[in-house]
Amino acid sequence: MGTTASQLPKDLLSEYQELTFLTKQEILLAHKRFTELVAKEDRNDPSPRVPMSKILTLPELKSNPFRKRICHVFSTSESKDGSLTFEDFLDLLSAFSDSATLEIKSHYAFRIFDFDDDGTLDRGDLEKLVNCLTGETDDTRLTPEEMKQLINNILEESDIDKDGTVNLSEFQHVISRSPDFVSSFKIVL
Amino acid sequence: PKRDLNPRPTGEQDCGPTHCATAPPGFFVYFILIVLCTVTRLASQSLRRCGAAMEAVRQTMQLWQSIMKEIGGRFGTSVLSYFSFLKWLLMFNIFSFLVNFGFITIPQLVQGSNITNCQGFKGLELITGAGHFRQTVMYYGAYSGSEVNSRYNMQLAYFFTIAAYLVLCAVSLIYSMASSFRRNFVLSDAASVSAWRLLCSWDFNVVNEKAVRQRRSNLRIQLKVHSSALLLPFVVSLLNLVIPLLCSLLTQMEHYSNPRTQIYVIILRNVLLKMSILGILCYHWMNNVAQSNLTCWENLVGQELYRLVIVDFFFLMIGSFFGEFLRRVIGTKLIPKLGVPEFDVARNVLDLIFAQTLAWIGIYFSPLLPIMQMIKFFLLFYVKKISLSQNCQPPRRSGRAAQMQTFFIALLFIPSFVGALSMVAYTVWCLKPSDICGPFQGLNTTYEAVSIWMESVDRLQFNWVIWIYDKMITSELFFFLLSLIILVLIYFFWQITQGRKLLITLLKEQIVNEGKDKVFLLNKLKNLQNANNSQVLHQLENAQQPKV
Repeated sequence: MGTTASQLPKDLLSEYQELTFLTKQEILLAHKRFTELVAKEDRNDPSPRVPMSKILTLPELKSNPFRKRICHVFSTSESKDGSLTFEDFLDLLSAFSDSATLEIKSHYAFRIFDFDDDGTLDRGDLEKLVNCLTGETDDTRLTPEEMKQLINNILEESDIDKDGTVNLSEFQHVISRSPDFVSSFKIVL
Repeated sequence: PKRDLNPRPTGEQDCGPTHCATAPPGFFVYFILIVLCTVTRLASQSLRRCGAAMEAVRQTMQLWQSIMKEIGGRFGTSVLSYFSFLKWLLMFNIFSFLVNFGFITIPQLVQGSNITNCQGFKGLELITGAGHFRQTVMYYGAYSGSEVNSRYNMQLAYFFTIAAYLVLCAVSLIYSMASSFRRNFVLSDAASVSAWRLLCSWDFNVVNEKAVRQRRSNLRIQLKVHSSALLLPFVVSLLNLVIPLLCSLLTQMEHYSNPRTQIYVIILRNVLLKMSILGILCYHWMNNVAQSNLTCWENLVGQELYRLVIVDFFFLMIGSFFGEFLRRVIGTKLIPKLGVPEFDVARNVLDLIFAQTLAWIGIYFSPLLPIMQMIKFFLLFYVKKISLSQNCQPPRRSGRAAQMQTFFIALLFIPSFVGALSMVAYTVWCLKPSDICGPFQGLNTTYEAVSIWMESVDRLQFNWVIWIYDKMITSELFFFLLSLIILVLIYFFWQITQGRKLLITLLKEQIVNEGKDKVFLLNKLKNLQNANNSQVLHQLENAQQPKV
């Protein structure tokens, strides 16, 4: 129906269906929304890249406090500017889809929360995480004492090997005991 | 070059209770759809209506996807769970309607009605369920026994269709309850309200900007409370247990309390009230109404249930009016301190459970009652959705939606379904069907139809069927042994669980110890390297000196 379906060839569609957790309709809808974001001069490009500023105009991501981190995590550009190709976009939707497993979701959640990309969540990452969730302005932040106490609580509960950071396995262990995570970690177009 | 996107696991996918539970009825729905299409050529009018209804239903199922996404985007997952629950219950009723219509009503319509003195249809029947409806296939009384038409045994069809539907419901409910319980209680730490929990429960579904801002401020409040002294939650929980009588004031009082205990107390009291009402009604029907031999008592009970279903619908509307619309008017115009109300998920889900209980009880006395239930749920969805968007604000607390959902499914199963099943079972097993109407006229109990049929089965051909019936279905020893084996298995699995818990604590200690070992070894390595380096430097200095 319409020209968008014909733009995505059938073999690519079935290949995407095999490689991601998305259904055919979801992939077609993603393609439609993605091509709307592509700039006019890039339309003829075989694999166009959309800059982060345009991705963040999507209503599903506009108000999300983690929108910039999400773009950075799923971006494959060498310049690390957060721009996404269509396959990156499908990766994003697949990880956030209904049928993605807990392992995939917790893996990506870990990477999103890892603000300095060093592979572990240390105190700095946790502080940035809490600030991201509670708000940016000065009157909505936690006081430094409250922040310190909170991060101590978090580390005491999730840092099993007591090295002062939360690595991927510890994070996944904590997440597996939180049953709301799978239903909350969802973005649907 | 193509990249390898997220590889899909080869095992099963994770699916929620709504997905899993609709799978078996959904499969049967399509199977029965095929059967119905072939039978369509026989009867005309009612089937054309049925086809249109099914088409509308299928289209609205897809229509509701966008509405539910919008609700999830503005109000979050816990409010969305109410609407998913409503849609799931609607599936049960659609399946019931198709099964009953296909296997009971259509054969009855085909063989023709044997009811005399038909009254005309007046509009009032839709509300009272009496009058013209009494003679239609809506109720038990219009179905005749097998004497008239010997090709299709109406008695067995009636009994087995209803029994099969109830068994499928039971299986579906037990499966959803067990998988939901395993996912949300066993694998998670139910007791602790941890900071990580709060952080990781950020609802990515919420896209509305105002809702996001509100959630952020609520999360900030919760995190502040969490990082304060440990005594506060303990005292607050104790207070919640001690002041159950002031439930309506409680919801205004503590903003920061442990919401779980409070909600569970309110829900349980509500459930007790509703189940007592139904229990008294059923007792009255079983003991008083069913004893009279002169009238078609099943029809009377069917009519009362029909009226209950309708009246319950009106009360749900009124409840929505008072609970949401009026409360918002009071909260914004009269007493601004109260503010806009939140959508009370618990109260609404309990109303749904009550409505479904009525439908399950009524299925024996009025096989087409699911139609009214379907219409009712359909209208209720839209009414609640409109009321939600006009009158309510998103919930302040990030509720534990998944655990509440398990609790609701458990409530749907234990008091609601099991109660309805017991009542239908008691009716089928012990009560004498009325003599003047219905497919079981002349028998002592409804179940006798099956016994008579078993006796008439050809012993030579179906020996195994008779053997199963004698040794397993009617034998008490078999059920006693089965229960004993199941109890032993439960004890066995419980012991395994205890052993595994012990293993987990031991492994945690081991991880800590290995961390300490690693730190110790790294320090030792560093010291050795420093000693080695200083030794090498010292040797170099010594080697250079003699040259001078």
